[in-house]
Amino acid sequence: MTLDELKSRLDETSYVYDENMLTTLFVALTLGRPLLIEGAAGVGKTEVAKVMAHALGRDLVRLQCYEGLDESKALYEWNYQKQLLTIQVDQGREDRQELTKSLFSDEYLLERPLLKSIRSEQPVVLLIDEIDKADEEFEAFLLELLSETQVTIPEIGTIRAKTTPFVILTSNRARPLSEALRRRCAYMHIDYPDMDKELAILRKKLPHVDDRLAAQVALAVQKLRATEAILKKPSIAETLDWAAALDALGIAELTPEAIRKTAGFVLKNNEDLLTLAEEQQEHCGACQGHCHG
Amino acid sequence: MADTEVYLEKLSAFARILRMEGLSVSPRDTEDAAAILTRLGFEDRETVKTALMTVYAKSREEQLKFSSAFDGFFLSEEAIRAQARQRAEQERQRQEQMEQAGEELEQIGERVRLDEQERQSYRELPQEARQKLQDFLNRYKGNVDRSPQLYSEFIHSVFAKTMMEQQMLLENAGVGAEELDPELGLLCRDIGAFRDSEIPKAIALIQNVARQINGELSAKRRGQGSSGKLDFRRTIRGSLSSGGSLHRLYFRKPRTRKRKLVILCDVSGSMVQFSEFALRFIQSLNQVAESSRTFLFSETIVEADPFQLQNMDRFRDTVRASGIYGRGTDLGLALRHLCDTRPPVLNQNTTLLILSDTKTVDTARALLWLQEAKRQSGKLLWLNPIPERNWKYIKSVGAVQSIVPMIPCSTLGELAAACRRL
Repeated sequence: MTLDELKSRLDETSYVYDENMLTTLFVALTLGRPLLIEGAAGVGKTEVAKVMAHALGRDLVRLQCYEGLDESKALYEWNYQKQLLTIQVDQGREDRQELTKSLFSDEYLLERPLLKSIRSEQPVVLLIDEIDKADEEFEAFLLELLSETQVTIPEIGTIRAKTTPFVILTSNRARPLSEALRRRCAYMHIDYPDMDKELAILRKKLPHVDDRLAAQVALAVQKLRATEAILKKPSIAETLDWAAALDALGIAELTPEAIRKTAGFVLKNNEDLLTLAEEQQEHCGACQGHCHG
Repeated sequence: MADTEVYLEKLSAFARILRMEGLSVSPRDTEDAAAILTRLGFEDRETVKTALMTVYAKSREEQLKFSSAFDGFFLSEEAIRAQARQRAEQERQRQEQMEQAGEELEQIGERVRLDEQERQSYRELPQEARQKLQDFLNRYKGNVDRSPQLYSEFIHSVFAKTMMEQQMLLENAGVGAEELDPELGLLCRDIGAFRDSEIPKAIALIQNVARQINGELSAKRRGQGSSGKLDFRRTIRGSLSSGGSLHRLYFRKPRTRKRKLVILCDVSGSMVQFSEFALRFIQSLNQVAESSRTFLFSETIVEADPFQLQNMDRFRDTVRASGIYGRGTDLGLALRHLCDTRPPVLNQNTTLLILSDTKTVDTARALLWLQEAKRQSGKLLWLNPIPERNWKYIKSVGAVQSIVPMIPCSTLGELAAACRRL
């Protein structure tokens, strides 16, 4: 696939990307390297995997990471109940060795996302979401899969990938990832979008929202992110929620009153809401009631 | 194929530069970079930059380093010309400055005997620093006849001080980093030099870094062995899903007891900003200690109310209300209070953390009580907000270092590194 082909396929989706992101995705795809995406929460990291799956016409296999995730949840597990049942049924069978061998065959293997992604006949997009939430042991366990696209199951042996999945790992940097993992990946950092990109996202995702209102929302969100006193900066998802809420309430202009009513959609903690209220008060005091958002 | 080899040659030179910048670049990275350049070509500089960045840089910090290394290595024709022009202009300005400084030196030389090294340093000083020195010389001109020896020594000390100030400005690591990334810059800058407008940003940064450290410490603790006693309850419960077969054993994790933290915090005039940030940091680290007690001291000592410390925005008010703000420092007295308090504050399960610049009245007494505090507590650490390069100029630092491990903490980055050692 060429760069232009990837571009035209991404254009078919509703994802707003820039040239740098396009190049990075192309490089990772061409080299067959896993792509590690870092950035603040809600900037669209997970969405990249969904969009790539759509653009490449592949299935998306998702592994959501959390504390305590282990290989039985991520890679495979033996179907113990079925194995026990077979033992009970075949109790009188003389060929014990054959029975033991059959118990550790594909029939009793429960595939989890990682195994599923490498045993798939068609290449898939594998999303390993929020890898920073998983333990360090799990991170180390992933290394074999990421560098060799193979996994080792003690009872069966090494399983090599039938097709190479396009692996995307995301991280919110809740903890630093190991050098070994980083070394195996291509890297991309997603920042909060600038004004133009934010507006483009609003237009693409919420085409029914009035253009003027969308511009006002985008500008207001940019200002909120630039305000140092705001602790939890609004993400793209919150921008979209806010615009949708304003639209649902039939508000056509972002006045101080409208902001006050709907601020909970864009700011998610009390300190930030108080900061916004204080700033609005100061602003209104300064312009003596002439302001309109 | 020939193309790839051409790229490989250039790229291996570039990889060497990246390694010098601190990036870990493997031969496979260079091979991949060459492979991708054969697909993309060299036509669009931005595309090449992004493609190589994807391959070589493995974190946000590495991306920033990569960016400046790339811009220096793959110069566009325009940039080469602009650089040459800029260099010629800088050289011209430097010549002018040297000539002007030479003339000034002729006048100063009549009054003060400067050695060649001082003359050279003077020529390289910026205009403002030279003006400052000249003002000094003019102000004390009358003294030259009365006591020429004293005047000469005084002038030499003024010279040394001005030059040291300039050197410290140049050594300020945050200057370069701030241009690339304000957040990184803030991590590398002296905490005492934060402007009021930067404080909210610094606080948000502390929260992020503290979250990271908490994550690291919690992961580290989880990783510390799982071979405790067998957990019968969980094992039997787990076996129900497989008809009572104990196919998986669960173990109790050995309980690791966190230490109790006692913080002795200097809040004399020069220390208050640092103490505020350091306490804010330590308070955010819920993984560091089981419980903590904080004592604030200057000439006297008071215990800080833990509820008030939860709202660090009120820290300055708390300190001011305690009546100890802005006074001198008596470390000996504070340590004596800690060691003598009953029921005891310090024991073998306590980590005593001292936040101070070591400047105190009666150093000998302070050192004596420091040894006693070390004996009573399980672990003793000293966080010093003075940059490490200046420690050699302060006698008390050396004396304290002979008793207690001292960690430099002049920047938020260093403070974070110190908190990882708690």
